[in-house]
Amino acid sequence: MSDKKEIIEIKHLGKTFGKNEVLKDINFSIKEGDVTCIIGASGSGKSTMLRCINLLETPTSGEILFKGNDITKEKNVAAYRAKVGMCFQSFNLFSNMTALKNCMVGPMKVLKKSKQEAEQDALFFLTKVGMAPFIKAKPKQLSGGQQQRVAIARALAMHPDVLLFDEPTSALDPQMVGEVLEVMKTLAKEGLTMIIVTHEMAFARDVSNHVVYMQDGVIWEEGTPQEIFGDPQRQETKDFLSRFINM
Amino acid sequence: MNSFLLAGSLPPDFFGRILFILKNYGVSMAKGAGTTLLIAIVGTLIGCVIGFIVGLIQTIPVNPNDSVGKKILLKIVNIILKIYVEVFRGTPMMVQAMFLHYGAMLLLNLHMDMWTSAFVIVSINTGAYMAETVRGGIFSVPLSQTEGAKAIGMNHVQTMLNVILPQALRNIMPQIGNNLIINIKDTCVLSCIGVVELFFTSKSVAGTYYTYFETFTITMVMYLIMTLFFSWLLRFFEKRMDGPAEYDLATTDTLAYTSGTLSDPRKDFVDDRHLSDTSRTGEDNLNNTRR
Ligand SMILES: Nc1ncnc2c1ncn2[C@@H]1O[C@H](COP(=O)(O)OP(=O)(O)O)[C@@H](O)[C@H]1O
Ligand SMILES: [Mg+2]
Repeated sequence: MSDKKEIIEIKHLGKTFGKNEVLKDINFSIKEGDVTCIIGASGSGKSTMLRCINLLETPTSGEILFKGNDITKEKNVAAYRAKVGMCFQSFNLFSNMTALKNCMVGPMKVLKKSKQEAEQDALFFLTKVGMAPFIKAKPKQLSGGQQQRVAIARALAMHPDVLLFDEPTSALDPQMVGEVLEVMKTLAKEGLTMIIVTHEMAFARDVSNHVVYMQDGVIWEEGTPQEIFGDPQRQETKDFLSRFINM
Repeated sequence: MNSFLLAGSLPPDFFGRILFILKNYGVSMAKGAGTTLLIAIVGTLIGCVIGFIVGLIQTIPVNPNDSVGKKILLKIVNIILKIYVEVFRGTPMMVQAMFLHYGAMLLLNLHMDMWTSAFVIVSINTGAYMAETVRGGIFSVPLSQTEGAKAIGMNHVQTMLNVILPQALRNIMPQIGNNLIINIKDTCVLSCIGVVELFFTSKSVAGTYYTYFETFTITMVMYLIMTLFFSWLLRFFEKRMDGPAEYDLATTDTLAYTSGTLSDPRKDFVDDRHLSDTSRTGEDNLNNTRR
């Protein structure tokens, strides 16, 4: 596409759980500033692939290069994870902390920032996601959409090079989906590198510049949104997309 | 065994006798209760520390790519801890007291004074119970919390200290309270090694005038006051730990201070929609909003 640098390259990635081969020879790469959407039916291995990228799952085979270094051989996994943020379907906010503390604890403990610096930064990102009025709230006192926005702020406060999203809106009521997608759209415009597993096809079409269709643990087809949504080459991709009529 | 002198003649009625006992032996009984509380509280606290250490070691995750040495060491330590837990949970504290205080003296030529023995016994007994409780408390925190912590780059120790243990502690507070109450009651078995706590004192007082009913009425009430007070106190702590049931929305002042002072290192991240909210300087607001 452009001459931007590759930030993540996945080569022959494989993952098996026991005898269940969930990922088979996955190959693709992400350039800096790319917004990649991963689509596919449930059970096709999207989450597993995303979790392999930040080593929440240990790949069984293959390599994952982050800025050229194979992180599957990395000893200091925590230090790598600090550079690759992740937002989960179920938010995973720390339930013992307020929204503000959720966004401060990583910068303070992992990045060793001062309390004051961490607080300013956290407040900045909470403001950015529109959650500044709720800094004193504990996660269980917030709606799903609000929790997800705090989770995004928490990830941003680490100043990650890449941000991963695993179905960030799937656990939300329809009226809250928009507020989260809006935040993600802003981040995309600002050039943050993102990999997003999603069922929001309209979002994938309008916001991403790279779409990956997965099925049965392999990448079936990938390309620009125009290519995948406008002119899918493989029958399976067409069949999958035909289920999303109201795009 | 009876160390109390006769203190005059006994009134004929029940309440008269209660007052008589309180007047003459109230101070001794209160001292006994103090000893009971001291041993129970210190023993519970040290027991909790032991329990947390044992529980934490038992929940250290083993990764496939850890060294063999680490795996073997962890295995051995875990077996020893398991034995400790099973032995001290599976035998009566009174027997442990006799075994350690008198048995160890003979066998190991270890001379622990009564007080040391008392604290050691209650602590390691509580520790064995708490180890299991802490282990359960750690496992009761959902995996999603650990993954959230890992995802922002926390290592195992940081995850434990900041995320898992505070939640585990909150979850096991009722168990800690239970242990304290059990210890307040069960320190009475230490009278078998000569610790002059509330039960020992009561027995002596009762024996002096054969006023078992009256003395132990007082003793019952004293134990009950202590246990009720500490259940209340622990429930109060639990409420404190939960924090307020409602939260205040942050004021515009706080927000002005934030967006006004911030210069984000990533310039492409500066969102002018929010920055334009304020024209005030940060320092002003800092003074307004921070005490
Ligand atoms: N921890 C696990 N142990 C065993 N099987 C798993 C595990 N996680 C996922 N799987 C299996 O891997 C397959 C792909 O799952 P997943 O990556 O969650 O798919 P998706 O996110 O696309 O819905 C599923 O068949 C699932 O049952
Ligand atoms: Mg999934």
